[in-house]
Amino acid sequence: MFCIVVKRSCRGVRVSLKSCNLLANDGYSITNVELLHRRRKHFLQSHNTNVTRLLSSRPHNSEVPEAATWEPVPEDQLPPPVHIPADLVDQLERLALVDFRTKQGLACLEKAIRFADQLHVVDTSGVEPMDSVLEDRSLNLRVDAVTEGDCAEELLQLSKHTVEEYFVAPPGNIPLPTREERAAILKHSEL
Amino acid sequence: MAASSVAASELLQHMNKHISIFYPKASCVIRRISTSSLRCCSQPQLKVKSAPQQLVGVVGLEVHAQINSNTKLFSGSSVRFSAPPNSLVSPFDATLPGTLPVLNIRCVEAAVMTALALNCTINRKSLFDRKHYFYADLPAGYQITQQRRPIAVDGLLAYSFLGGKKRNQVIKKSVSIKQIQLEQDSGKSLHDDLRSQTLIDLNRAGVGLMELVMEPDMSCGEEAAAAVGELQLILQTLGTCQGNMSEGQLRVDANVSVHEPGEPLGIRTEVKNINSIRYLARAIDYEIQRQIAVLQRGGTVQSETRAFDSKSGETVPMRDKEGLQDYRFMPEPNLPPLIVYEDNASLPTGIDACQAVVVQKIREALPELPAVKRERLVQAYGILPEHSLTLVNEEGLVEYFEAVLRATKKEPRKVIGWVTNDLVGHLKQQDMSVTQSPISPKALAELLELQETGHISSSAARRVFQEMWRSPGKTAAQIIQEQDLGLVSDTSQLHSICQKVLDAHPDVVNAIKSGNKKVLNKLMGLVQRETKGRADPVLVRRIIEEKTS
Amino acid sequence: MLSLTIREVSLALREGRISPTELCKKCLNRIKKTQHLNAYITVTEELALKQAQEAETRLLQGAPRGPLDGIPFAVKDNFCTENIKTTCASRMLKDYSPPFNATVVQKLLDQGAVLMGKVNMDEFAMGAGSTDGAFGPVRNPWSYAASYREQTGAMPDSDWVITGGSSGGSAAAVASLTSYLALGSDTGGSTRNPGALCGVVALKPTYGLLSRHGLIPLVNSMDVPGIVTRSVSDAAIVLGILEGLDIKDSTTIPAPSSLTELPEQFDVKNICVGIPKEYHAPGLSEETVAQWSRVADMFEKAGARVKQVSLPHTQYSIVCYHVLCTTEVASNMARFDGLEYGHRSEVDSSTEAMYASSRHEGFNDVVRGRILSGNYFLLKQNYEHYFLKAQQVRRLIAEDFKHVFSSGVDVLLTPTTLTDAARYSDFTQEDNRTRSTQEDVFTQPVNMAGLPAVSVPTALSRRGLPIGLQLIGPALQDRKLLSVAQWMEQSVGFPSISDYGDSSKSRNDTEKSKRERTSAL
Repeated sequence: MFCIVVKRSCRGVRVSLKSCNLLANDGYSITNVELLHRRRKHFLQSHNTNVTRLLSSRPHNSEVPEAATWEPVPEDQLPPPVHIPADLVDQLERLALVDFRTKQGLACLEKAIRFADQLHVVDTSGVEPMDSVLEDRSLNLRVDAVTEGDCAEELLQLSKHTVEEYFVAPPGNIPLPTREERAAILKHSEL
Repeated sequence: MAASSVAASELLQHMNKHISIFYPKASCVIRRISTSSLRCCSQPQLKVKSAPQQLVGVVGLEVHAQINSNTKLFSGSSVRFSAPPNSLVSPFDATLPGTLPVLNIRCVEAAVMTALALNCTINRKSLFDRKHYFYADLPAGYQITQQRRPIAVDGLLAYSFLGGKKRNQVIKKSVSIKQIQLEQDSGKSLHDDLRSQTLIDLNRAGVGLMELVMEPDMSCGEEAAAAVGELQLILQTLGTCQGNMSEGQLRVDANVSVHEPGEPLGIRTEVKNINSIRYLARAIDYEIQRQIAVLQRGGTVQSETRAFDSKSGETVPMRDKEGLQDYRFMPEPNLPPLIVYEDNASLPTGIDACQAVVVQKIREALPELPAVKRERLVQAYGILPEHSLTLVNEEGLVEYFEAVLRATKKEPRKVIGWVTNDLVGHLKQQDMSVTQSPISPKALAELLELQETGHISSSAARRVFQEMWRSPGKTAAQIIQEQDLGLVSDTSQLHSICQKVLDAHPDVVNAIKSGNKKVLNKLMGLVQRETKGRADPVLVRRIIEEKTS
Repeated sequence: MLSLTIREVSLALREGRISPTELCKKCLNRIKKTQHLNAYITVTEELALKQAQEAETRLLQGAPRGPLDGIPFAVKDNFCTENIKTTCASRMLKDYSPPFNATVVQKLLDQGAVLMGKVNMDEFAMGAGSTDGAFGPVRNPWSYAASYREQTGAMPDSDWVITGGSSGGSAAAVASLTSYLALGSDTGGSTRNPGALCGVVALKPTYGLLSRHGLIPLVNSMDVPGIVTRSVSDAAIVLGILEGLDIKDSTTIPAPSSLTELPEQFDVKNICVGIPKEYHAPGLSEETVAQWSRVADMFEKAGARVKQVSLPHTQYSIVCYHVLCTTEVASNMARFDGLEYGHRSEVDSSTEAMYASSRHEGFNDVVRGRILSGNYFLLKQNYEHYFLKAQQVRRLIAEDFKHVFSSGVDVLLTPTTLTDAARYSDFTQEDNRTRSTQEDVFTQPVNMAGLPAVSVPTALSRRGLPIGLQLIGPALQDRKLLSVAQWMEQSVGFPSISDYGDSSKSRNDTEKSKRERTSAL
């Protein structure tokens, strides 16, 4: 790796001498690479031991923590897991107009909720919700002058189905059929 | 859809949109002379016998007023009526991905001006939210509105209407305005049932709306109609909304419930598809009576959305998704808080005053509001409050009245009856607006002048007025001459007529002679009858007084 | 020539060492040779040649428009390009050509930059691997570099590593030397993550500094256009061109200064580098820790003050991000219904059925899953419990940063990713959500707070794959951040991929990638 560095610096991408020196003095990089080359074949099997040994060969920066400073929230600190009842599944599918498809989809939602439950470990009493980082800025306003529109043709050609200058929808306000029937429709429509 | 429920929309859309698309000019009369035709709930249409408890109606309103602006709320495309379909649509209005909302300053100013006129508190900082539901004419799948923190809150709309037995008593009421929020209008769906498809026109999509929420402070259709009428007048005076209900510029949904006074409010229904003030009153009164009848039969009122059918005068349930519907409100992340400033001094540095909304500036530009105008008319002309109500509620009537005054020396108090009764009565009969009157202010003034100078009696003047209405172009003088309606002031002729009357009523003459001067008027009336109202009343009185003294 | 930086190639163009047309052709040729990477969804060959010709005319007249005139660039396929397909790597938009250019694209075109094509990504930018798009996964160019092959004995055709994501195509395009610059988008790390894994510089500017007009949104309150280049100095040049108020985006803010050039010699003596201790997260590779420590040492040796700081809510940031992301996704994706544009299902029994079928057919499982989760969190009964709670936690996270920066810290030095790039076959063992929460752990807190951050390639791992470190600055201090980043870049001396042979060489790959693309559709 050392020679690579030199090569790079010779390409003249404004790599200062100082940085070359820094690298040259950085025994770790060199040792690291040398060791790596030597142990390449055993690499996959003995990954961790190697690293430990490598690290011990060089002092660790005292400001950088040596071990993970936190652990995932343990299960027993979380509220009881949420189970999504069938009618809620149906409601969500109707509201979102997307389907869970399989049991896996439902499990995925339950996992997502479980993941979100970690939020409840955090004490947020008295904390204002934050919508956006621009909450203290005021909205820019536009003068009331016509600058757009008159591009019906351009817009309509993006649509798969138009009649004259109208977009076209199938008949409206008909609730989705039951879940079973929905599944049949979707299976049929699968690409 | 700008109105609050998707579920409610189908019938509404079907009818409203159909009407306004195919018959955009079907009805151009903005306001009618109609308050007196509305009946308050104190005179129920359905008599309910032996009601053990006194159930009364409770009415709240949600009003959507289209903002009168050149461009849409969040895009620079034009706001116009009867343009070719989808010709007033920008990529943002069609919700092409990657487009973002940019707020129109005019819409904010219109909302602030309206809020000031309605005595609201303006929120220095207001926020925008997304309200989600799927509908074919709502292309984003959500509407941008102001759910958490609207532009204005806590207002009051004072309104009055003519009530009492003779419907000539001014009744003053007020309704609290909960909030005014800015939001986007939806597009229009045209249902083509033959081909089983819906045609979508997005010209209206994204037009700025002010939603005004009125608290349930009203008790019947008449009150609601008067409140909306007053609001309409205010909006038109301000120019913030054109206010035409039949064109959908002003849309009113009514929340109606009934309860016993003092008890908690009953279950409410939401009545939609109301496209005139007259129908508003009818729909509400029908709904109140329907709910009372349901309760008195021992039933329960369903929380539902109902549509008013103007043909039958009934409200009918609409397909309702309320149970399922959950709008999943969320802050609109593309719009930082909307800030309005109290005055120029409070503008932060670096902000262009032209691109900031300054409340003080708008307050100074407020025109004279209808209530103030009425008060001014009462003070300036010595007319009665009920007259001022009619004058101001009728578009152009104040101007008409003042034009008559300018052309005659007659006292305003004597002119007002001619305008608010005779003229308005005739207009109403033929469903005409003031500007359509066949009698110009000048012509009316000429007639009144002839009466004032003693050329005709007041009863003859009314006959002349009717003739002028029928034959526009003929002057009062012409009609008086043609029909020989001039005052009879030939003393000898009057003497003989008076004598004839006195001779026929000796008992009355005796009564006068014994001091009962009041009955003299009876004799005067009999003389006028003989002369078909043409006798000079001053002369007649003098002659009779002489003959009975 | 292809491995130069913008600054260098721009000079070469001006000095006539190469013409824009030649350069463009070289890049087009390189794109063909690296087709197996699947970096590009659309190659705009004809347009590129036309633009290059125009640039050439200007250069010949001695009137170039600026440092980018004639420079080939690539754009992530979630930026709108006028009359050029903009797919978001989704079936939903596979035939969609918007009628306008995103502001940032327009600004580059106005500078005379030459658009090579639209690059691959995770569908609608939802992912951290560039493995979940409708056009197949993107392969990390380092999979074919000698460093990786020799160190691990990997078979490139089966053991190739991912680019990271979701802007994997952008990072791959710059790393594989087919473009000098690429636009990515960064919502939770989507530009910095692949930047780190592909060994390129990846800048996420301060929120609001660059217009999002024309960027198809993932999370509006966190999205920023990202800049991928081969050097920090290049990123600064591009930032200078792209930043500033845009009337079409109400969330843009004026650029603090018009200075585009970074100082030639930046003295780190006077700066204070914070090391947030929570960024040693579970799963952080020893090698990355070692690099982190090594660079901290470099700063110290150069006279900077390096001190450990705490951002106590870091651990919950990814959870918070997950809730806020899915809720905005639920909302933003509502517009895709097949009516006005995009994929439309044949089902036409009702508007609702047509919408549901179009969305079923148009979105992949990941997108659908996030839509459902987001809708769940926004339900009336869950709004406060999840959505508002997440917004509260968001404030705590933003305040953590504020607190640290007001205590005298100038920049924070952190890892960009937990490890170097995973093999595709390993990466896809876990589901998209799990992967995203792992991959975005160090990157998304910055998006919550709207701060600028840049990932700078630091070293090659023992597997011969890039490791990047991230620098985070206070809001609107993008230029100072880049100055420090440039010092770091010069100090670490990261190699060029061209030093490791031709990554375009691959056996049977073109065939295979073609197959993947067809099967995806």
